[in-house]
Amino acid sequence: MEILKSARAILCALVAATFFAVACALASADDAVGEYRVKAAFLFKFGGYVDWPAQAFADPDSPFVIGVVGAEQVADDLAGMIVGRTIGGRRIEIRRFQEHETPAGVHVLFVARAAAGSLAVVLETVANQPVLVVTETDDIASGAAINFVVVNNKVRFDVMLDSAEERNLKISARLLGVARNVVDGSS
Amino acid sequence: MRTLPFRTLRAKLIAAMVVTTLTALLVAGIAVVAYDLRAYRFNTFADVETQAELLAGSTAAALNFDDAETANEGLGVLRFRPRVSAAAVYNARGKLFATYARQGTPPQFPELPGDEGVRIEGDQVHAFRRVVEQGEILGTVYVRRDYRLRERAFDYIGIVTTVAVLALAVAVLVSIWLQTVITRPVLSAARAAREVVTHGDYSARAQKFSDDEVGTLVDAFNEMLAVVEARTRDLERSNAELEREIGERRRMEEEMTQLNIDLERRVRERTSQLEMTNSELESFCYSVSHDLRAPLRAIDGFGQALAEELAGRLSGDAQRLFDRIRAATQRMGQLIEDLLNLSKVSRGALEYRDVDLSALAGQVVRELKMQDPDRRVDVSIWEGIKVNGDPRLLRAALENLLGNAWKFTGRTESARIEVGTMRDGDRSVYFVRDNGAGFDMAYADKLFGAFQRLHGMEEFPGTGIGLATVQRIVHRHGGRIWADAAPGRGAVFYFTLAPESEPVGRVASN
Repeated sequence: MEILKSARAILCALVAATFFAVACALASADDAVGEYRVKAAFLFKFGGYVDWPAQAFADPDSPFVIGVVGAEQVADDLAGMIVGRTIGGRRIEIRRFQEHETPAGVHVLFVARAAAGSLAVVLETVANQPVLVVTETDDIASGAAINFVVVNNKVRFDVMLDSAEERNLKISARLLGVARNVVDGSS
Repeated sequence: MRTLPFRTLRAKLIAAMVVTTLTALLVAGIAVVAYDLRAYRFNTFADVETQAELLAGSTAAALNFDDAETANEGLGVLRFRPRVSAAAVYNARGKLFATYARQGTPPQFPELPGDEGVRIEGDQVHAFRRVVEQGEILGTVYVRRDYRLRERAFDYIGIVTTVAVLALAVAVLVSIWLQTVITRPVLSAARAAREVVTHGDYSARAQKFSDDEVGTLVDAFNEMLAVVEARTRDLERSNAELEREIGERRRMEEEMTQLNIDLERRVRERTSQLEMTNSELESFCYSVSHDLRAPLRAIDGFGQALAEELAGRLSGDAQRLFDRIRAATQRMGQLIEDLLNLSKVSRGALEYRDVDLSALAGQVVRELKMQDPDRRVDVSIWEGIKVNGDPRLLRAALENLLGNAWKFTGRTESARIEVGTMRDGDRSVYFVRDNGAGFDMAYADKLFGAFQRLHGMEEFPGTGIGLATVQRIVHRHGGRIWADAAPGRGAVFYFTLAPESEPVGRVASN
């Protein structure tokens, strides 16, 4: 019993140490300065609440790709966050895109406010593809599935279900549970 | 009853029922309570763990996306679980993220999340559960739930007690009814038995209520009663028979007693008549004898005077006739004397004294020897023969008996006379034995009659009154006299002086 207990304590400590970074990121979510850090963490975490169709991955070993458009800070934070982590058993890859680039082969695509002008174009390029598009605009009808908002200095998000369904994505009810608003265009 | 202090069967039955019910209730109650408390503990643990698990699942997203509001909302669902007193969600850094406290419960939560698992603290169960997703610990869920084991136990004890009391009441009622079913036949049988004992009424029967063992008992009892009744009837009949017989016998006895009384009365009458006649006769005899003596004395006296006057002048024949007249006269005088003696013996009351029979016999023998000094007789008298009787009469008896012996041994060589006594059972028999002429036993019945003589006058002179006198004396003493003899070989006269209880056979002589 004693051994088990101490083993469990050690494990707890290790786990706590290992994810200290995540904890720090969450802790700083309140800060306006750390807004992108929080968004980066959210982007990473969305992967666990969305089901992609099988054809979204070329083969079982294909990585899970998170694309970031116009937000180097977010990409950097993500790169630091994904070390040693997986989503659905797949390793994670971060790809940075410029505004004019065509983001291909991504599963999550974050289009930052800085690249909002080219949003329509970007969306055009990934039309009908199983890509979870995340934006931070005020326009919920832009065609993105998830849109970040800041409420009371806290990062929250809205979910547009019809946009997700158009792209064959299934969003977990639990994610919907924590969304600020869920927009269901079909209803 | 040593173990159960109940006197009646019904009390015992009720007690047995109650004790059985209580025991069963107690055992069942303990088993149920123990099982339930165990199940309660298990269910509580399972419940709190499930709750923590569910909360962990539902708050994972909120933790992931730092949505305390959603987490609080999620915890708020617990208000539908009133047993849960408090719940909280800690984030990965161990800081309180969301809380829930049941209305009325102080919102107190552990400052830091504890180890995963369930533990009991007082009347609360605490459970911690890590929220893990994608292999990452997102935080910890804490659930606190009421654990009312003691209250529950008390509740159960109350319920069991209530049920026990109710069951007891029902058991008592049922047992009262049951004991009625069981004891009624028994009591009925007992009542019948008491009836039989107190009233002796064997026709009573116990009522049979059931076909069980008691029924069998009642049947057996009734059969027994039937047998007893039959026996009693037989006994009564034979008793009546006996009584009738006894009555008859008593009547017969009464008749016989009456007859006896009559008989005795008649015997008394006859006896008194006889006695009167006898006494008259004796008086007559005495007077006659007495009155006869005077003329006889005159005849004798004048005869003697005449003989002296005519002495030497009478012829031979005349002298012989004259002598015969005188001899006859003297003989008649002797007869009269003896008759008077016999009368005397019969008259007057007996005067009982202690008499030395040996001494008396000695005196008589001395007188005999003086009267006849030429005789040589060997007389042997046993010493110390003591009797109780009238000395005058006993002397007369001995004079006659010894006189006879002396007389009848007159022609015997070496005459011998013996006076002695012997025991016959518990009485004394006295005897006088001689070795004289004896007599033929064929005439024994005539021996003691007056004027009865077995020998010729020429052979042995006598009046024939002596033995009659002896017999009269012996009879007056209540005794008996008998003889044993053979001609030429002597005679033995035996006599007793006391009434005998039963007839005594002849005493063997030599």
